[in-house]
Amino acid sequence: MAQHTIRREEQGDLAILRISMPSVDAISAAAIEQMCSDMRPITALDFAQVNFINSAGISALLKFVVAARKSGYKLFAINVSPHHQKIFKMVEMSRFMPIVDESDLAAYREPARV
Amino acid sequence: MHRVTLSIPSDPAFERVVRASAAELGETFGFDPERIEDLKLAVSEAVNNAIDHGSKRQSHLPVEVSFQVNGDHLEVRVTDHGGGVERIDWSRRVVEEDNLDAGMLRGFGMYLISSLVDHCEVSSTAEGTVMTLRIFRKPAE
Repeated sequence: MAQHTIRREEQGDLAILRISMPSVDAISAAAIEQMCSDMRPITALDFAQVNFINSAGISALLKFVVAARKSGYKLFAINVSPHHQKIFKMVEMSRFMPIVDESDLAAYREPARV
Repeated sequence: MHRVTLSIPSDPAFERVVRASAAELGETFGFDPERIEDLKLAVSEAVNNAIDHGSKRQSHLPVEVSFQVNGDHLEVRVTDHGGGVERIDWSRRVVEEDNLDAGMLRGFGMYLISSLVDHCEVSSTAEGTVMTLRIFRKPAE
């Protein structure tokens, strides 16, 4: 199920995990957690398709934070809605998974080979 | 006064049913989009709390949710028939290094509820727990 619910794009040290499920909650937590065992030095979670996150979802996302901390990797969030930015701010999630623009990740992509 | 009542099994899969109902009611009642999101999340947390901690996920035990429109606010009552809870911790809960390192990744639900609604209260006995939320169309000043 994880393959259909989270699409992975990788370029060098950067991995973007595009979450395609609309709810990040207790039901989708297992699929999300499966992906945190295969992080890259720079990993970004894309929330463009996500329209609901509850505390069970936050707990699942924290598995990424824990995995990133253990490996010394950087973790970012992109395309986070204003409502979810509010929620992330409330629980101080953004300290550990900063919200950035996708264009900011360009610096971590490998340059094109000429 | 209008009331909508749902009864669901104590199974996390059914929380989404209640959440969808909350969203529809919020829209019908004239909440703005952000307030609907607050309502959905608060109701989701209350229902999950009833399922996980009240009923201990015993699916044969129902969780009842009533939505009542009272003038300028919506009252949501979530009732479980578990063994009651000793206390609810409403205190602010944020992501912290120590908790991450200790694997303590849960416990944000009640803080989120208390921050998103205008009033919340809990009544709990050995026969079960009732959580009552009141959400005004616009947040209280």
